[in-house]
Amino acid sequence: MKDLVEYIAKSIVNQPDSVKVTEETDEQGIILKLQVADEDKGRVIGKQGRIAEAMRTLIRVKAAKKGTKATLEIL
Amino acid sequence: MDVLEISGKTVDEAVQKALSQLGVTRDQVRITIIHEGKAGGFLGLGAEEARIKVEPISPEKEKMGEILEVAKDTLETLVKLMDIEGTVVIDTYPDETGEQANAPIGFNIEGDDLGILIGRRGQTLASLQYIVRLITGHKTDTWVPIVIDAEGYKQRRIEALQSLAERMADNVKLKGTAFTLEPMPAYERRIIHMTLADDPSVFTESIGDGESRKVVIRPKQAGNGKPRTAPLHENNGRSNYSNGRPGGYNNNRSNYTRKPY
Repeated sequence: MKDLVEYIAKSIVNQPDSVKVTEETDEQGIILKLQVADEDKGRVIGKQGRIAEAMRTLIRVKAAKKGTKATLEIL
Repeated sequence: MDVLEISGKTVDEAVQKALSQLGVTRDQVRITIIHEGKAGGFLGLGAEEARIKVEPISPEKEKMGEILEVAKDTLETLVKLMDIEGTVVIDTYPDETGEQANAPIGFNIEGDDLGILIGRRGQTLASLQYIVRLITGHKTDTWVPIVIDAEGYKQRRIEALQSLAERMADNVKLKGTAFTLEPMPAYERRIIHMTLADDPSVFTESIGDGESRKVVIRPKQAGNGKPRTAPLHENNGRSNYSNGRPGGYNNNRSNYTRKPY
């Protein structure tokens, strides 16, 4: 799951080296936590969270294929 | 600028000639050597002129090629990372009006089970398209409209919406009363508007906000071809129409600002 978020995030920020994604699993499913440089936060969230929402949509598809659920948190 | 063929004693000389004739610099053209030329022997006997072909490079064209590549790469990577089995093919994609391409870059994803990639009302496809535009824009420092389709879904949807629009417009003409369609996303509403834009006997507008915004098809008054209500671009456009229709479809019109669609 991680690789998808990592790829997208690294491709849209100015400091790809600061992108960090951690993956946890609990009974709800997979929780992905995305960390980026402060100045890049807006770039992964977007106006009214539009970018974050689009990432969530894609993550959901991947999770559904695996038969699980996934959430994305931006730290 | 067209392709230019030019000769000179040497290739270098031909290049110089071509550049000064075209008034461009070396990096703005692509040069193909047709004939190398020969210096010739005594007194230049047997010399052959060098001949080259000079082709101006259109910067947009070059850039488009680069963008296309980046976009395709990005889309392929995303599809793979999403565990979707599909092939990305480049597609010339007609825009909503059915005309060729206000969207210069189009992709169709081909595969067997892409319903999951399309999503409800094409929402997943829209997200994928958005992310690809974003990444491509970031990497190439430009913004180009990129359209992503899967199994021809959008194409089918456009056709379905066009025929829906025409059917409903016929209905409106027949009955002389307005008809409100289901809520639709912006680009789908746009298809309805465009389809009926040239229809002399109906006009369309969008009402409602956000998720519940929808298209209304209304009859124009017979004869003058004018909308039955006040002109479209006034905010009170619907007031005399809605009056006396309690609980009508547009209760929130007081704080409603008109958008193009």
